[in-house]
Amino acid sequence: MLDVGRHPNISLLAYSEVEKVRGQAGDFQVQIRKKARYVDESRCTGCGACTEKCPTVVPDAFNEGLGQRKAIYSWFAQGIPSTHTIDTEHCRVFAGKKCGACAKACQAEAIDFDQQDQLLDLEVGAIIVAVGYDVFDPSRIPEYRYKDLENVVTSMEFERLLSASGPTGGHLDRPSDRAVMDRIQELEKTVKKSRRAVDNFEKKFARSSEDFYAAYQPGDQDQESQKWAQAYEKWLKEKNELEELQEKAKGFSVAKKLAFIQCVGSRDIRFYPFCSGYCCMHSIKEAIIAHEHEPETESTIFGMDIRAVGKGFEEYKVRGGNTSKITYKRTRVAEIDKGRDNNPVVVYEDTQHRQIRREPFDLVILATACAPSRANPALAETLGIEINEFGFFRTDEANPLDTSKQGIFVCGCSHSPMDIPESVAQASSAATRAVQVITRHFGPQAKGLRKAS
Amino acid sequence: MSRDVLVIGGGIAGIQSSLDLAEMGFQVHLVESLPSIGGKMAQLDKTFPTNDCAI
Repeated sequence: MLDVGRHPNISLLAYSEVEKVRGQAGDFQVQIRKKARYVDESRCTGCGACTEKCPTVVPDAFNEGLGQRKAIYSWFAQGIPSTHTIDTEHCRVFAGKKCGACAKACQAEAIDFDQQDQLLDLEVGAIIVAVGYDVFDPSRIPEYRYKDLENVVTSMEFERLLSASGPTGGHLDRPSDRAVMDRIQELEKTVKKSRRAVDNFEKKFARSSEDFYAAYQPGDQDQESQKWAQAYEKWLKEKNELEELQEKAKGFSVAKKLAFIQCVGSRDIRFYPFCSGYCCMHSIKEAIIAHEHEPETESTIFGMDIRAVGKGFEEYKVRGGNTSKITYKRTRVAEIDKGRDNNPVVVYEDTQHRQIRREPFDLVILATACAPSRANPALAETLGIEINEFGFFRTDEANPLDTSKQGIFVCGCSHSPMDIPESVAQASSAATRAVQVITRHFGPQAKGLRKAS
Repeated sequence: MSRDVLVIGGGIAGIQSSLDLAEMGFQVHLVESLPSIGGKMAQLDKTFPTNDCAI
């Protein structure tokens, strides 16, 4: 990523969209909309002083909503470019309120609330489409109760929980436990505040609240007494809830019994009939890493079969079973139920023993399908190319990276579901196809090429 | 007529295409809709089968 930002032959247009495309192979005219970040790219150093001061906290999309960011943010810590961006949907200034805390904190004077979108016109000889995929939304499968049960997560969410730079610092804290910890933090603040209100009454009347409340009659018309009683009741209620949750939190530990459910949305005629290809290996990898983090971790991978097709993949699968406490179960999970202590219960048929089983787990991870990007139809229209029956870009049978328009190529998961090594290999192929178009128009020497550093 | 190439999408595929073209001496315009490049791969902790860091 760093190489892209530094390469003299690459102009990086982040936070931008393709608006219009005209022309044909060798001679395309493209209009790009560079969206306003409300931060001057040439001035911002990416120091993050603005995010520290920003008062607005919102869920962080990079962390799949498991973490939090501010209304002015960088997409992720090591992001290229590191230029910060203001999220106009949540920023107080764009809601018409007084703020500007970021502008005060910014020593580089990069904040510009009046910035406008910019339209750039480019001329290019070839176009490569590499827009990737969307994670399938598992809430479309009601029997897996993804939104309903807190401890049922997608493989991408699990990835963020595993990451040392993620919202839990790499600890496998369960989402239900994290919600309790958040509530405890919130309550600690409010209890302190409501206690202060009670203390004020005690000081004013030089009497303990317990004595006062024991003698207090609800019908008492004295307004001060009523307020004191209310304040005392509020404090008592909050304190009791806090103590209860603190007691509960003592029993929390990281998730150690994991279930991975394969083919969530893929190989399913209700959604996508195709195999997404990478999910089997992805689940095995996640189970191995979870075991590396916490050696007591045991994982069960529920799937119709494990498709470990690739260099070194089968060996990786076997190694996971031998050294990382992974069990592979041949089944299709029917349902996920709610169990005790927020433990999801996996209901499945054990096909080896011909028995229906119900097994509770600490955390269930759904290996979600590689869904075509929702933006594909609009982009296809802009580019004048076709999409296929699933929503991926239609390609030529004989030239698998060629779209329905000459000079436009596609690679990676916007072509079809594939893993990283395959995406990289295809990307290099697409680059070569693009060069072929250009050299066809400029001759084999393609004079005027710029030497790379 | 232009020798430049437009790459749409700054995930691992777009990054690889851009670097290959740039190394071959072509000018690349890399367009990404999000504030930073990296795509889905940047969200991954480690990658199989070598368990290398994704970033």
